[in-house]
Amino acid sequence: MATTRRTFLRLLGGASGALAARLDVPPAFAQTGPVKIGVLAAKAGVTAPVGESGLRGTQFAVDRINAAGGILGRRIELVVEEESNPKDTVERFRKLGLQSRVDVITGVVSTGVGLAIGPVAEELKTLWLAWDATTQKGVEETMPKPRYSFRSVDNEAEAVMASILTAKHLKGKIKTVAGINNDYSYGRDNWAAFLAIMKKLEMGVTPVVDLWPKLGETNFTSHVAALGQARPDLIFCSFWSADAPILMKQAHAAGLTATTKFVMTTAGGVHESLKKAFTPEGMILGYNSMYFEAPNASPLLREFVRWHQERFKEWPNYESDHAYFTLAAYRAAVEKAARAAGGKWPSTDQIIEALEGIEVESLSGKRSYRADHVMECSFFQGLSTHRNKHDFVTIDPVEVMSTRQIQKPSGTGLYEWINSWKA
Amino acid sequence: MLGGVFHAAVLFLAAAGLQLVFGVQKILNLACGSFYALGAYFGVSLVTWALGAGAPPSLFLGILILSGVLLAAIGPPVERLLRTIYDRDESFQLLLTFALVLMFEDVIRFFWGTAPHQLGSVYLIYGQLKVGALTIPVYNLVVIAAGATIAAAVGWLLTRTRFGRLVRAAAENPRMAEALGIDLPRLYSRVFTLGVALGTVGGALVIPATAAMNEMGIELIVEAFAVVVIGGLGSMRGAFAGALIVGVLKAVAIAIYPELEMLGIYVIVIAVLVLRPAGLFARAAA
Repeated sequence: MATTRRTFLRLLGGASGALAARLDVPPAFAQTGPVKIGVLAAKAGVTAPVGESGLRGTQFAVDRINAAGGILGRRIELVVEEESNPKDTVERFRKLGLQSRVDVITGVVSTGVGLAIGPVAEELKTLWLAWDATTQKGVEETMPKPRYSFRSVDNEAEAVMASILTAKHLKGKIKTVAGINNDYSYGRDNWAAFLAIMKKLEMGVTPVVDLWPKLGETNFTSHVAALGQARPDLIFCSFWSADAPILMKQAHAAGLTATTKFVMTTAGGVHESLKKAFTPEGMILGYNSMYFEAPNASPLLREFVRWHQERFKEWPNYESDHAYFTLAAYRAAVEKAARAAGGKWPSTDQIIEALEGIEVESLSGKRSYRADHVMECSFFQGLSTHRNKHDFVTIDPVEVMSTRQIQKPSGTGLYEWINSWKA
Repeated sequence: MLGGVFHAAVLFLAAAGLQLVFGVQKILNLACGSFYALGAYFGVSLVTWALGAGAPPSLFLGILILSGVLLAAIGPPVERLLRTIYDRDESFQLLLTFALVLMFEDVIRFFWGTAPHQLGSVYLIYGQLKVGALTIPVYNLVVIAAGATIAAAVGWLLTRTRFGRLVRAAAENPRMAEALGIDLPRLYSRVFTLGVALGTVGGALVIPATAAMNEMGIELIVEAFAVVVIGGLGSMRGAFAGALIVGVLKAVAIAIYPELEMLGIYVIVIAVLVLRPAGLFARAAA
């Protein structure tokens, strides 16, 4: 039969009618198939390894949850999209929420991207559990009281802990300090927090030079020369990507590691690249919120490390744990809210209420969400050592601090909080 | 200061590749940064493999240079692709070579993953030099010397050999050169491959002192363009002088007033664009 104009119009009308009907259906139909979880993970640029680490933690969590029967009997299905610049990532967030109709979105490590997504999550009423993306300034100013966003730990918590450890190990032993940090909010905030704490803890140190290479720099020979000239007793550095081993390598080659103490707040994120050949012992080294060889590692962490090593031939880092936690917390919150709702799949509002204050076992131990949607967890740092079976440094002793001690409490500013410490 | 010269040496190699190709083929090749990144990754892999197979560590410099030269084999096929747009508008060239940048990023991710790659312990094999309170890794001097040698060799090749005369003729007037019997496609292919080799060798040479990461190519393109603008597009001597200016200026800024590290370079770029838009060495084409 040839399609006449009339049959075509009828077809068109029918199709649009069906489409309209479908839009009218409440999301009830989504409660029987798999739970769709959207993930925004960086795949290119400096944050690519971080995004990859988050995806690995996500995969491990999904495999476990699905093997145990899913969430309330529904299997998890992942819809992975790329985190890139704020504008494009916001579009992908919308696509996940509106087109893929996911139940929840996890991911995002860049604060700039996170700040753009926050308002969109509120607008779409889409639940977003961030992996990272929480430097001070922007978050304080633009995301004061989110409802649909659950945030990560303050990015500066590692600088706070490293500063406390600096005071513990080096008080009275250092007089001059130098900073080398990336030229963006994270680097600037870390250096400012370090100096504020040095002052608060009456360390009596003078900053002699602060250097601001851009993120992604791969040549620090000139920076190392400037540091060598300033001859500080201690160098404070918040590098977290390939720049950390490059700086150590070039500092070592210029003889700087022999004379100067180092604090690397976050280089544990690329711990395998900190080879013994150029990384000194006795450096304060931070692993953020998960240390792969924690002395009291839980069976869960041991299993994850084994899985990670077998699958990727690498030892895991913290971003896997941020990602694992968001899924474990979501599952626990759904189950808790369902119990309260008489066994039915809970609404987003009910899940949000259940997430507030929830505590679950994550890879690194117990982690929770505060009532103001900020994560609580433990941080792992220590003094670098060469005494291990690897070709890279690890830490011994391992110091553990809770974010209750190193993260600003709800409702205060970072520096206001630091200045309120009792000496 | 020496740090700046070290940086300049690497920058020169990449910028020289860009200049050579632009000077002859009139293609603004953004992918020169990708060749640099590929050279770095390939260098790490080849040296790691060679050392694992029992090669003496002190030979690593030769292996690195060899890896850069071997990798230049990707030159002819890439040039064959670019040949389709020689006569098109510059925006097509930029789009296509930028597409190549993105594709090479994926190639790197496919073969080497996202984690940084490095050569752990060969950096200090040639020892350190102590000058007063300063300690300088000898390898940095080796790279500087290699950069200078390659600059001299390319200069000799372009001005003193038959190949150089053909290249300069083709750069000056390709139609006339072709009319006089120069096999232009073949010449372009060889010139482009030489340009690729400058980038890949640069990437391979720098790797013992640093780590290979995927975005290192894009980082370098930005600086290479500053070099090219300062030196003058298409000029080899311009690339040499521009690289030195950028490298040393950066080092001086870091030593004196670190906040100027990035700004200083662009102030010079703006000054050159305003006062001498064609660059410092604009006349000495190729």
